[in-house]
Amino acid sequence: MSEIIATLKKDYIYSLMVKGKRQDWRGFKDFRELKLETNIISKAEGSAKVTLGNTQVLVGVKLQKGTPFPDSQDEGVIITNLELNPIASPEYEPGPPREEAIEMARVVDRGIRESGAIDIKKLCITVGESVWIVFIDVHILNNDGNIIDASCLAAIAALMTTVVPNEQQGLGENVPLAMKEMPVGITLAKVGSKLMVDPSLDEEAVCETKLTIVSSSDGSVAGMQKMGSAPLSEAELFEAIDLALEKAAEIRELYLKGLAKSE
Amino acid sequence: MSDKPDKLITDDGLRLDGRRADEIRPMKIEIGVLSRADGSCYLEWGRNKILVGVFGPREAHPRRSQRADSAVIRYRYNMASFSVEDRARPGPSRRSIEISKVSREAFEPVIMAELFPKTAIDIFVEVLQADAGTRTAAINASSIALADAGIPMKGLITSCAFGKVDGQIVLDLNKDEDNYGDADFPVAMTQDGEITLVQMDGHLTPEEIKKGMELVKKGCKEILEIQQAVLRKKFATPVEDTEEEAAGTEKEGEKEESVPAPEAVQEAAVVEEAVKETEELGAEASEEPSAADVLSSEVIPDFDEELDEEIEEEFEAEEFEAEEEDEDLEDEDEAEEEEFEAESEDDLEDDLEDDLEEALEDEDEFEASFEGTPELKEFDEIEARLEKESVSIEAEEEIGLEPEAEEFVEEESSLEEESEVEETEAASEETIEPETEVEPKVETGEASTEAVEAEEEPEEEKSEGPWKVVKDPSEAGNRGEKDE
Repeated sequence: MSEIIATLKKDYIYSLMVKGKRQDWRGFKDFRELKLETNIISKAEGSAKVTLGNTQVLVGVKLQKGTPFPDSQDEGVIITNLELNPIASPEYEPGPPREEAIEMARVVDRGIRESGAIDIKKLCITVGESVWIVFIDVHILNNDGNIIDASCLAAIAALMTTVVPNEQQGLGENVPLAMKEMPVGITLAKVGSKLMVDPSLDEEAVCETKLTIVSSSDGSVAGMQKMGSAPLSEAELFEAIDLALEKAAEIRELYLKGLAKSE
Repeated sequence: MSDKPDKLITDDGLRLDGRRADEIRPMKIEIGVLSRADGSCYLEWGRNKILVGVFGPREAHPRRSQRADSAVIRYRYNMASFSVEDRARPGPSRRSIEISKVSREAFEPVIMAELFPKTAIDIFVEVLQADAGTRTAAINASSIALADAGIPMKGLITSCAFGKVDGQIVLDLNKDEDNYGDADFPVAMTQDGEITLVQMDGHLTPEEIKKGMELVKKGCKEILEIQQAVLRKKFATPVEDTEEEAAGTEKEGEKEESVPAPEAVQEAAVVEEAVKETEELGAEASEEPSAADVLSSEVIPDFDEELDEEIEEEFEAEEFEAEEEDEDLEDEDEAEEEEFEAESEDDLEDDLEDDLEEALEDEDEFEASFEGTPELKEFDEIEARLEKESVSIEAEEEIGLEPEAEEFVEEESSLEEESEVEETEAASEETIEPETEVEPKVETGEASTEAVEAEEEPEEEKSEGPWKVVKDPSEAGNRGEKDE
């Protein structure tokens, strides 16, 4: 059903694109209204909710003691899980995660892991025996497009407000989770010949391909993933990188810098 | 697990396995290694060992997975439990599910799935031994296996990764470099350099990415040559055979094979991609295959572009209620202008026109000149079908604009009529081409020494396949058996 609607809407979205417009009259480089709330789940060690237009994503971070991986005995473990909750869309069904969910979870995870956002050495309790395992659970509450950017932002915001529950384990005082980097994911949808920032649900449905670029505060790229079946030219790739770095810097400045200071 | 070496790149700029920064690991490809699969490929790349089997197009199960308008492409990347140092748990992991998804998407732009509605094309990848870069190796192998299965594709997909090791950008990471390097950036691209897969993890600046993309393009080009050589080797048909077989039924083929047209060879040499091929063709090169070869590799993107633009044009037409026919003509002109190789194509068109007089008669339209060759006719048919689809959608949606939609339909039907005419006219050529394609399937593994004819085979394989299969798959199969 959604496929049929998408095909019908394609004409409309493309005709707007030709005129340099979008369905909701944003510019190609504009985000929808973005709202970030942190510390909204007191039971979680860290939490954040991102509202992006009508898209709502909630991330909860839980920490548990566990054993390290044999090849990284002095490092904590990061486990990212993303659930396409059936509450979020009539298309989602309960059951094991679909490839879409797995892919998004891994893109969010890659951004956090590869940018070195978490100082995982500081999560080691006893070398080779016990470390903190950081569970990043992303819950999609309402999918109105671009859940991946919302997830990336919510995840890093939740981590930045996470407190390591040392007291609970008799390990001394609770301390904020040691963070080193603020990765921001920006997804660009290729519609016709244009790249659009923050694609809406309809734009996502009709776009040829999407490219998610996660970048760090030093202007380097930490992760990338092309999603969708149409090809991308090299020029478009470089254009996308430049655009993503620009938008990521804006979001980092507006939403994440404040969290870092408040620690 | 070995410990991290002090240096991954030695002082003289060589990597631990002796490669330079811009060198890929040695690659070995075998084709048609599985008798039950429709197409198969075994690929070794460095210490990676990958086996790919392709099945289909076959009926898609479960039925609800079928698509009414195209084949469903399914890609399964699976790692054998013994392929890595620590035993991998059998069954799909989150990693393999992700790789399967992006790899499938890497092939979707080139596989002509629209020719096989309600079917499935299954690509099964088994990683037997893993040593970094398995997804790129698997994609390279799948490309060959798909060609081996005769799945119509617009081109081969090649894939290669670059990364950063000891601060240096290097091509095709090995295991140590992957483990201890700073970044990994797998890319898959079409023959025309369109990117169909991009993933990345690590730490790279935009400048490093630009540098790496240059390396990847070089790597992909080398891999493409290996892939083409393998396909040529398998699908090469001795020239004499073709002539003998052709002689009985086929005047056209005989003429093409026996009358070399040196001026065409020279002109074809102008075309960038065809340079090598034309040289290799040498004295025995015949005009028609070289022209068709070039066109099949170069014109396909044009048609894509043209299609895209036509779609855009259609929107504009809706918007401004202008006359479609004029715009379509404009559109074609634009496509011609924009295409950077348009000039050389024109030359080739002229050649074709000389050669295929009967197919070209009084046509003065741009498109018409393409219809002389079977491959291009195929694209016209697809184009026409796509146009028809979009028209029907428009007709449903834009009731107010119905008159316009009707005009489209009219145009469409006239296109079809044209192509039908061409079909009958080109029927003579048709008989010779399936032979070049079908025969190799039964002559598995026969290493042919005739590199000359081989030049065309991979291209023809891709472009002719759909056309033949669509028309009469059973007949084609029988022909192959008879040849044996």
